[in-house]
Amino acid sequence: MGSIEGVLTGFQVAFSMEGILFVLIGVFVGTFIGMLPGLGPISAIAVMIPITFGMDPTLALVMMAGVYYGAIFGGSTSSILLNAPGVSGTVATAFDGYPMAQQGKAGKALAIAAISSFVGGTVSVILLMLLAPALSSVAIAFGPPAYFALMFMGLTAITSLSEGSTVKALISAVIGFMVATIGIDAQTGTQRFTFGNANLLEGIDFLVIALGLFALAEVCTLIINRKDLSIDNAHKLGSLRITKNELKEMRGPMTRQSFLGFLLGVLPGAGATIASFIGYITEKKISKKPEEFGKGSVKGLAAPETANNAATSGAFVPLLSLGIPGSGTTAVMLGAFLVLGVQPGPLLMTDHPEIFWGIIASMYIGNVFLLVLNLPLIPYISKILKIPRPLLISLVIMFSVIGVYAINFNTFDLYLLLLFGVIGFLMRIFRFPAPPFILAFILGGMMEQAFRQSLTISNGSLAIFIQEPIALSLLIVGFLSFMFPLVRLLRNRKKERV
Amino acid sequence: MLKSINQKISIVLIVVAVGYLLLAFQLPSFPYSPVDADVLPKGLGVLLILLAIGLYFSKDTETEAEKEQRRIPKKDIAALLVVFVFVFLYIFCLEWLGFVLSTAIFIFFCSLYLGYKKHMTNALVAILFPLFMYVTFTELLKISLPQGILPF
Amino acid sequence: MKKIAGIFLFVIFIVLASACSDDTSSSDKDSNKEWKPEKPIEIVAPAGAGGGWDTTARMAAKVFNEAGIIEEDIGVVNKAGGGGAVGWAYIAGQKESAYNLFVSSPPIILVPLNGQSEYGHEDFTPLANMIADYGAFAVREDAKWDNLNDLFEDMKKDPESITVVGTSSPGSMDHIQFVKIAKAAGVDVKKIKYVTDPDGVGLTQLLNGSVEVFSTGVSETVEQVKAGKIKVLGITAEERLEGETLSDFPTAKEQGIDTTFVNWRGFFGPADMDSAAVKYYEEKFKELSDSKEFADVRKKYGWNEMYMNSSDYKQFLDEQKEDIKSLLDELGLGK
Repeated sequence: MGSIEGVLTGFQVAFSMEGILFVLIGVFVGTFIGMLPGLGPISAIAVMIPITFGMDPTLALVMMAGVYYGAIFGGSTSSILLNAPGVSGTVATAFDGYPMAQQGKAGKALAIAAISSFVGGTVSVILLMLLAPALSSVAIAFGPPAYFALMFMGLTAITSLSEGSTVKALISAVIGFMVATIGIDAQTGTQRFTFGNANLLEGIDFLVIALGLFALAEVCTLIINRKDLSIDNAHKLGSLRITKNELKEMRGPMTRQSFLGFLLGVLPGAGATIASFIGYITEKKISKKPEEFGKGSVKGLAAPETANNAATSGAFVPLLSLGIPGSGTTAVMLGAFLVLGVQPGPLLMTDHPEIFWGIIASMYIGNVFLLVLNLPLIPYISKILKIPRPLLISLVIMFSVIGVYAINFNTFDLYLLLLFGVIGFLMRIFRFPAPPFILAFILGGMMEQAFRQSLTISNGSLAIFIQEPIALSLLIVGFLSFMFPLVRLLRNRKKERV
Repeated sequence: MLKSINQKISIVLIVVAVGYLLLAFQLPSFPYSPVDADVLPKGLGVLLILLAIGLYFSKDTETEAEKEQRRIPKKDIAALLVVFVFVFLYIFCLEWLGFVLSTAIFIFFCSLYLGYKKHMTNALVAILFPLFMYVTFTELLKISLPQGILPF
Repeated sequence: MKKIAGIFLFVIFIVLASACSDDTSSSDKDSNKEWKPEKPIEIVAPAGAGGGWDTTARMAAKVFNEAGIIEEDIGVVNKAGGGGAVGWAYIAGQKESAYNLFVSSPPIILVPLNGQSEYGHEDFTPLANMIADYGAFAVREDAKWDNLNDLFEDMKKDPESITVVGTSSPGSMDHIQFVKIAKAAGVDVKKIKYVTDPDGVGLTQLLNGSVEVFSTGVSETVEQVKAGKIKVLGITAEERLEGETLSDFPTAKEQGIDTTFVNWRGFFGPADMDSAAVKYYEEKFKELSDSKEFADVRKKYGWNEMYMNSSDYKQFLDEQKEDIKSLLDELGLGK
């Protein structure tokens, strides 16, 4: 069966009445669950699996795919409005989305997020359709040394993620890295800093830290300012209007991050979180006005939102064409396939072209639905910010509490959440930036594991990092991007002296 | 003499780093890995000490505006502490009282304390919102939240 | 302000007091009597949603209710954390309760032996084992080894050149199943190079040549074998499995390596469960295992049937623990 024929079959499936209906159900449920506290794509897919029993596999999977990217789409809402990211892929969204919403431009922020998500989603589906078979070799191209180099490259951006004191940014990062070392070390099974507490064995969950450092720290600030009952420009809150200039600004990040996000999504283990951070960082680095980032920059919001949705489609490459789940989410997605009696892998495309291409084709419709469903809702959703401060504060706290509780169903995590809330607040007062903390927490753990895997494989020889071309080139890029600001700093100093 | 706030913070950080290092040096060794579990933590501990020293001697002093931002009125600190205690009690009672009851009590009293005057709206939100969440989670999504002492 | 806080505390106090006084659980300890559940039963999956434990628990609960084997409602509760340790500690606190079951598998032996949980299988009442899965050792299709003995010969000669990858850390399942078979083949287990890929991309590392051997579950290998990307040198089952492709996988045993490793999965209750209740569950799980509906579920997920009643199960677990403990001691990982 030729692949053109396969693609056509896929479109037939996706554009049939049932196909359209199931995509609609999928994205609707996905967005809804994604907006709920603590429930990201993993739980969304897991709770939907039993419902698919006995359904036609193709339609069921088209729906499940919709649930998956719908949940990513919905996750950004709480990041933007409440500074409370519900899933890791939307932390970077809060960096600029929340400030923008606080300036009374909540509707605009949500609209930018929706449009960027749509573009990221759609462009990456086109890439998926054209390149899926060819990219399966890229998906496995990264060995441990290359992963180490990739994480290293991401970490070198720490200093660019913050304003003000570089030393403080680095201190934040080191502490974030330290927190990442808590738990059982995967390479040796050694317990590190667990104090014999079973709740710490698997390490501290990402959400505990994100909600503590971002949402609860913000709650503290809100409590102090609880007297200013409203935010600026409240009457324009729900307005979706995006100016021509802003659209122009979005164009660059959206194009670049659609590609970059997709590629990072293809790599197993990297995924939406890393794509959104790297997307944010690269846009900040190449921006002519990096000082706007973190204060409600249009680019700073468009970049991570495009990237995380593009990465979601990218993650389908290893899943569909190799049967390799690259993340916790795609692992559960793989489970959904198996329950329906479909085994994703190298044979899927030839054995079940209608499923392989049906899912991909349905993503076009799904993305359009998401946009159409979400845009009209924005004016209503953004009214959340009009809730009087005292009530809003209580609700954000409740949101964070359910979000964290739903990870392990365990109050221990909630006490940790409270602790990180306090830490986050102290960091704010003393002007230690939170983004480097969270970035080092995410990347640090993976970087350490990849480093040690590499050295076990090479029997302790560091040469492994320069023998592999991908690893070497990424290391060079990382090194240069680290040195570049330093060089500029030194040169400026010299100038001052002269 | 500890003059600037940065110097005080750097002392705290050094204490943290030393504590972390002490624990790192107690990590058991594992015979089969060229880079053992303690290598990175030791490195991080040392790095934090170095950075803290850097902070101690760093010249950038706070601007007046920044200092102002740091000064929180006593009344607000008290408010923060009270909310902190509320949240603590909320967490503490979550599994005993159940999600709906503890959340309702929390939302009502926390909003009241923070100065929300419309008691009817407050009570309504405090009851309906947790109920909505509870039903969505347990009935629709089959994810169980603590039921507590309520019979449903 | 103070007043409000005071009222808040007072309300909390009152409700707490009533909550505590309400907690008079009556436990029936008459083992001659027939026992039947009188209120909803809770099955704990000591892991998050979507994993093997969670799926088994949810499927069992579903079939129990839908096939009418147990009338009372059965709810599945996730208590994730510590590789199971958090869930086990929770159940250990429910002594004698006949309404708190949980699902488990080899980690309940491995995790305590690694010093990561104070509770092991001895602290609970085994009710019934339900299913089994087996380990598989895969290499790339173009690898020079065609059977386990070739591989192990090379590992004896040049242990530094071969790296094994698994998803779980040393001392846990993927590692131990490989070590157990390799040891029986005469390999020096202290020289095995093992790396963990916690993100589940072990297969990637095998395909791109970073590592030589992938130690995993049988079902994870099937598709890649069909596609001609990898070959399975051996599986840890007693006999060959049934099914397309699966039946082509040679066991370690038929290659003259006389040992097996079972990834069993079954249900437990808290310590000191009433013997009438144990008997009740034993029978109900047997009924479940024999039901057509559960057979469909097994087929769907590629699980093998392996029913054991409470006493057989307990004995089986004790033996498993002995085996694994000696292995860990030899590796110097026992705690």
